[in-house]
Amino acid sequence: MKNKILIVDDAEINREVLADILENEYDILQASNGREALEILKNSRKEISAVLLDLMMPEVDGFAVLEVMKTEGWMENLPVLIISGETSVKAEKRCFEYGVSDFVRKPFDNMLVNRRVNNVVGLYELQKDLQAKVDKQTEKLRIQYKLLQVQAEKLHRTNENIIDILGTVVENRSLESGAHIKHVKGFTRVIAERVLQDYPEYGLTKAKVDIIVSASALHDIGKIAIPDSILLKPGKLNEKEYDYMKSHTTRGCDILDSIEDIWDEEYKKVGYEICRHHHERFDGRGYPDKLAGDDIPISAQIVSVADVYDALISERVYKGAYSKDEAYHMILRGECGVFSPKLMECFRSVKKELEMVAAAQGE
Amino acid sequence: MTVQECYEKIGGDYEGVCERMMDEARVRKFALKFLADKSYENLVEAYGSGNVEDAFRAAHTLKGVSQNLGFTRLFEVSDEITEALRPLEKVDLSERLAQLKDVYDRTIDAVSQLEEA
Repeated sequence: MKNKILIVDDAEINREVLADILENEYDILQASNGREALEILKNSRKEISAVLLDLMMPEVDGFAVLEVMKTEGWMENLPVLIISGETSVKAEKRCFEYGVSDFVRKPFDNMLVNRRVNNVVGLYELQKDLQAKVDKQTEKLRIQYKLLQVQAEKLHRTNENIIDILGTVVENRSLESGAHIKHVKGFTRVIAERVLQDYPEYGLTKAKVDIIVSASALHDIGKIAIPDSILLKPGKLNEKEYDYMKSHTTRGCDILDSIEDIWDEEYKKVGYEICRHHHERFDGRGYPDKLAGDDIPISAQIVSVADVYDALISERVYKGAYSKDEAYHMILRGECGVFSPKLMECFRSVKKELEMVAAAQGE
Repeated sequence: MTVQECYEKIGGDYEGVCERMMDEARVRKFALKFLADKSYENLVEAYGSGNVEDAFRAAHTLKGVSQNLGFTRLFEVSDEITEALRPLEKVDLSERLAQLKDVYDRTIDAVSQLEEA
């Protein structure tokens, strides 16, 4: 099917000449004044590829047609070429302000009119084509994005599950109270959210905090590789045993390494940091790497405080439980490790919240 | 009368119109259609009844058609009348209309003598 062209001119001869030029390539519709033109546009503009419009016409003139087309938003998808005897630049400018595609003066050259019409029609067809393609692609992308979101959510749940399973293994293996991991998670969240709020230099985000909280369950995963004779020894460990015990940090990392490809890189990285570095000290005298200051990942620094705090307020084979108040002051006085001043600032300001978490979890 | 003779007789631009319309047969075809064009009659009638606006439009149409057909002399006279009427005020055109009638009659006379292709 040929594309349609609407020719609007009050002089029949002018319409005939234009039709004669274009009828080989296009189906021609004709209107002898603006009113007829608008009638045709109203009903069939979707089938029309271009409008050739005269300006000076009885009843409704060319400008009035442009006015309606612009108001109705028809110009965007339908190119208009003015064919006029008007010689003034003012009239030409006015037409272009309405958004016409071309302005051809009478007397026109047949071949040039033909070329100009073809150019404009081709351009609009291309534009429509591209728009359709873009729409299609956008829809495809939207669907894929949705799918990705679902998969990300699934992956996220998988990560959490893996971590929880690993955490449970540690609980069953060690003498620590089964609730220790849950407590550490709770304290980690309280402290981490404070760091997020007060110390933007650590670059924490809500999502990162979630990962740190989740991965904090892994801090003692290396203990499953420590023999019972050491792990469950009721008395004090000798130096050799203590050294072996300390290796639970690096052994934890080995375990995480061995489960590569199952979980997300970000989870793994944070889990790794926490396993390896939660016994480092801010003064560089911790283990295994003797990292100092903020060389210790913030994730490990946070979990380290949460871990110590819970150890103090819990009863262990080798010690009784301290009160929360005592534990709080012991940590601030530096009796249970050396922490970053910023972290201690956070710890100080969340005393109440930590105690509420501990109470809510039945300590 | 050939197309070229016709255009020479009425002061038209034969070469120009052939170039624009791309072949002589087409020029002949549309020149002949001019015999049925009513813009001259519309102009005379509107001017006679004092309707300046219609007269202006008819003159404008006559100008546009004669311009497209390469009827240069007719275009020039109708263009002058169009511009005289553009302010849409009453204006004495008797002299120019007489001139137009002369050119128009000559044009119609010559065109109607064109040989059928």
